[in-house]
Amino acid sequence: METAVFRLEGVTKRYGDLVALDNATMEAGSNEYISFLGPSGSGKTTLLRVIAGFEAPETGRVIFEGRDITNLPAHERGIGFVFQNFALFPHLSVIANVGFGLRYGKSPQPEAEIDRRAHEMIDLVGLKGLEDRGVDQISGGQRQRVALARTLAMQPRLVLLDEPLGALDANLRGRMRTELRAIRERLGVTFLHVTGSENEALAMGDRVVVLDRGRIIQTGRATEIYDSPNSPDVAHFLNRFNLFDGTFRAGYFEGPFGRIPAPGARRADRDVYAIRYDRMRAVAPGSAVQGPALKATWIASEYLGSAIVNFFETDGGRVVEMEQHLSLGAPQTFEPRQDCLLTWNPEQAIVFGREAA
Amino acid sequence: MSTTALSIEARQARVTRWLLLPGIIWMALFLVVPIAMIVYVSFWTQTTFNISPKPTLASWQQFFSSSTYVDSLWTTIRIWLIVLAATFAVGYPTALFVGLFVKSKTLSTVLLVICVIPFWTSFLIRVLAWRPMLGKEGAINIVLMKLHIIQQPIEVLLFTELSVIIGMTQIYCVFMVGPIAFMLARIDRNIIEAARDLGAGFGRIFWKIIFPLSLPGVVVGAIFVSVMVLGEFATSGALSGRKVNLLGNIIVTQVGSLKWAMASVVGVILTVVMGIVIAGFLRIVDLKREL
Repeated sequence: METAVFRLEGVTKRYGDLVALDNATMEAGSNEYISFLGPSGSGKTTLLRVIAGFEAPETGRVIFEGRDITNLPAHERGIGFVFQNFALFPHLSVIANVGFGLRYGKSPQPEAEIDRRAHEMIDLVGLKGLEDRGVDQISGGQRQRVALARTLAMQPRLVLLDEPLGALDANLRGRMRTELRAIRERLGVTFLHVTGSENEALAMGDRVVVLDRGRIIQTGRATEIYDSPNSPDVAHFLNRFNLFDGTFRAGYFEGPFGRIPAPGARRADRDVYAIRYDRMRAVAPGSAVQGPALKATWIASEYLGSAIVNFFETDGGRVVEMEQHLSLGAPQTFEPRQDCLLTWNPEQAIVFGREAA
Repeated sequence: MSTTALSIEARQARVTRWLLLPGIIWMALFLVVPIAMIVYVSFWTQTTFNISPKPTLASWQQFFSSSTYVDSLWTTIRIWLIVLAATFAVGYPTALFVGLFVKSKTLSTVLLVICVIPFWTSFLIRVLAWRPMLGKEGAINIVLMKLHIIQQPIEVLLFTELSVIIGMTQIYCVFMVGPIAFMLARIDRNIIEAARDLGAGFGRIFWKIIFPLSLPGVVVGAIFVSVMVLGEFATSGALSGRKVNLLGNIIVTQVGSLKWAMASVVGVILTVVMGIVIAGFLRIVDLKREL
């Protein structure tokens, strides 16, 4: 990582009894794309608002470009904020929205300069030709670009994006993902992107920060987070793992699928067995399997184009998912309520245990 | 396809016609016909004891040649403009507070209801209540004298144009506050935060964002206040000691003395003035787009 442009040191923020941020500490380098992943209520929006200066933390410091900005008002921070609902000025045209900060901000620019920079930003986000439209006369994706251009026109060193793709439809979301990354790379500024979607977080972030109940629970590159979540909660947020409760004792995990060896268990506050959807296999009941064996009945399947997801119900009434990539050959087919035995290679599982080293 | 199976559009058009009918009948009977009647009667021939439908311009000539009548037209317009400015000056900051600065929806509703409480008493009582307030031996004078701020009671407070303006401003202010507060409450707070994040100070945010977005509310409030003030006669009657004669007062006295033709002339002039005022306000914003 390059030199840290931005740092949070033990930031805590409470709303009454609710701890929205609990001792959050993190760093961001210059020219980085960082995504924050967490369920709603995990404090990710609060974190962004504290960084932007819309909220003041109770304790802790916010450092930006070597300066303590904890008590600096929002507009003096040089940090751009892109709102979830875009927050465009509804009575102004596209170009007037983009030029707003240059025209009415702290250091007003001459008209020619405003015009030049606003046009430059509009070109950058691909809205050429729409300059004089009202912001209610353009589509959702275009509004998103206006919001981004308006923020970027101020030449911030750090841009905060609060669920920027949340208000777009799925198709557009995919396109804007690539676009956002490309725009960021061209400008070389750091983006902090908050999202509730694990796919978005993993796809976009150079680094991913996982939040839960106001705490930062894991930070790392997307592949690190995906391959080795450091807690059952992270595994849960990734939405790619079947999680089983059970007991971990003396190198073995005992769960609904039997007692199996679990050599590389990680320390956690509870005993959980995690196995990825695409590691599961289904065999006929009564087959001899080595290792884990889980009796289940097939309920439904979902076709995703490149893969098929089968849903099974165990005796305990919980749903287990199995994903099969269609590139690996024709998928298995099942009858409704068909009994199966689910198994997997235990070496591919991630085990969390209180007793683990 | 059978003949009874009308297209959906044709059926909707029929429903629309039936829904419009009661309103059209009502408006025709009680708005269009009376206005046409007033215009017609304004050209009737009036004698001291009688009125006949013989067409004449006499009443119109009498209105525009008499300084009393023409003055009352200017007085009406002057008082209207002053009261409009005063209700805006008092109402906008109030609306700003109620609609924008108060964060809790419940509290802002409570505050709006408080603004309406004076309306729980009758109009006349609200107007007459200003007399013991503003009079020579009224509350304001007593307090100021007791505090030794003044030695002599201020006599200009009651039975002058000032008292009419004070009374009207108090009564009609809430009609300005309501629509503005409504528009302000609809402004997305994120927009204001976005403007602040872009470096705009409070003044810039107010003039470039908040005020333009509240303008439809200002226009609606101004139309409410204008229509009511232009047609006023009770406040001026009760608080001016008959010194301020508005067009409304002229109509009342003319009708009282059975001068229907002259009352109609004033009525037509008043209606035209109101029409111009409303049309002018509606040019400022496109209300259809905003509401």
